[in-house]
Amino acid sequence: MLNYTLRRLLTVVPTLLVLIVFSFYLMRLAPGGPFTSERPLPPAVMANVLERYGLDEPLHVQLFTYIKNIVLHFDFGPSFSQKDRDVNDVIAQGFPVTLTYGFWSAVFVLACGIPLGIIAALRHNSFWDYSMTGLAIFSQIFPNFVLAPIMVLLFTLSWGLLPGGGWNGGQWEYIIMPAVALGTSYMAGVARLTRGSFLEVMSSPFIRTARAKGLPERTIIIRHALKPALLPTLTYMGPVFVYMITGSVFIDVFFSTGGIGQDFIDGAYSRDYSMLLGLTILYSLLTFTLNLLLDLAYAWIDPKVRSKL
Amino acid sequence: MSLLSIRNLNIRFRTGDDYVHAVNDVSFDIAKGQKLAVVGESGSGKSQIAMAIMGLLAPNAEASGEVLYEGQNLLALSQSQLNRIRARDISIIFQDPMSSLNPYMRIERQLGEVVVQHEGLSRRDARKRALEVMEAVQIPDARNRLTAYPHEFSGGMRQRIVIAMALICKPKLILADEPTTALDVTVQAQIMTLLDDIQRDLNTAVMLITHDLGVVAGFCEDTLVLYGGRVMEEAPTLDLFDGPGHPYTRGLLRAVPNISDATATLAAIPGSPPNQTRPPVACPFAPRCVDVRDACLEALPDLTGSRQKRACIRPVEELT
Repeated sequence: MLNYTLRRLLTVVPTLLVLIVFSFYLMRLAPGGPFTSERPLPPAVMANVLERYGLDEPLHVQLFTYIKNIVLHFDFGPSFSQKDRDVNDVIAQGFPVTLTYGFWSAVFVLACGIPLGIIAALRHNSFWDYSMTGLAIFSQIFPNFVLAPIMVLLFTLSWGLLPGGGWNGGQWEYIIMPAVALGTSYMAGVARLTRGSFLEVMSSPFIRTARAKGLPERTIIIRHALKPALLPTLTYMGPVFVYMITGSVFIDVFFSTGGIGQDFIDGAYSRDYSMLLGLTILYSLLTFTLNLLLDLAYAWIDPKVRSKL
Repeated sequence: MSLLSIRNLNIRFRTGDDYVHAVNDVSFDIAKGQKLAVVGESGSGKSQIAMAIMGLLAPNAEASGEVLYEGQNLLALSQSQLNRIRARDISIIFQDPMSSLNPYMRIERQLGEVVVQHEGLSRRDARKRALEVMEAVQIPDARNRLTAYPHEFSGGMRQRIVIAMALICKPKLILADEPTTALDVTVQAQIMTLLDDIQRDLNTAVMLITHDLGVVAGFCEDTLVLYGGRVMEEAPTLDLFDGPGHPYTRGLLRAVPNISDATATLAAIPGSPPNQTRPPVACPFAPRCVDVRDACLEALPDLTGSRQKRACIRPVEELT
């Protein structure tokens, strides 16, 4: 297991390298630059600015300097659009925010989705099952950019229960709406997936064996059915975690949480190369870590996978 | 008094607006320590009888009649009442050892949980018992293999584990539902020998469900032949093999391949299994029977006879 983890970690380096090179050149292919504006700067000023940020050098030299700074100093460079801030600062400030409500959103997804799915499966083809499935489909088709304004309309403007935005150091009132708005459609997905896989597992031969042993139904569900029934959910959750963090761009903007989503958007508008590249690297590291954790969790649950690691 | 007594058992399955009548008016007894084979082709209802005894019929099944175990009608019991009988008094060996073990649990836990449940043993004592049964079913190096998972065993070894699981509480009746069908022939023989030894040690009654007459011949003293969910014939196995009293049994025995005559084409019973969407009103085998008479198509034959019971209106001497 440790061996496998180390092997996986080693593959990060080449993967990231390829990713950086590709993203770097792709961004530069797009027309415009961080300092183009409607009223062009005088040529002398422009040359000065470009020189200051090292943009006057040939592309491959810039790329090399960028990578060198990351490797040697863990420095992702200065922001081209936000004066006096560098990318490290931005990440240090915004990432904890995104991660915090992303985490609570994931907790919400699992803590509501799994029980809902199991209840629906246990009450198969009953009123509960149909209402749960109906609710799940309903919330799955609601994208977060529709749900978020509706929530603000209800909980902030109509009932005055929750603040409509801001972060305030991450107090729970400020976390609830971003987390729920971000997670609802995934929660519905998890509920439907869990329902389906639970039904399938409950009709499998080894559950029949467990019944023939005279075990009470509750023991059968918890001891025999839960683990295998959650495997598909686990597979689904891996990419979902990543979508939730990266897809939180809208939530960051809408609720003004101060998360990195806002910086990502601003960076894209203003051709803030180093910001975009830095955040891309951050997102891919996150993807990588979550996938690794997911695979390890898989091995923990499934002995067949474990023996192959 | 017999250990298990099945009286007029009917099982039907609801499929949309129709019913499939899988088991029709079946009655038989199993005495303490008796080995009874239940033989029939796929769809003859043999497995469903076992499921009805265990209370494991599918949700769309309706069972009527009586399944009396020590005088108690199992069909009338609740799930929690049945749970006190399952595995402790009556256990079952399923056909496919590949899928009937939980792939996510260690063997010792899967074996041990049975005695923890029924005898209230501690985990440690349960492990000891698990080891005992693993050794009883001759799993080599059992002590070290207790912590293994099912996928780490071969098919034959897995079926031994399933058997171990079925006998860990020393039940009075074991239902073996095609225990060797999923295994290759040499392993089949080993498993049947093992079952035979265990049966003798514990003096457990066994109901062996199979479509393999070869397996029956060496193992069970009595045989029950099912067709279309009805009993065609019930007799001591030797009598049945010597002088089958029902045209269906005769057809089955003729279909057993003969190893000394490799050139012969395999004999088969012409026709296809009956449509069971209606309960039978005449002999279900009549449409395929070589000795059929008009009367066969008009009324249900009774199961008659004392030692060798048969459900056929024609005298044995007249059969081809």
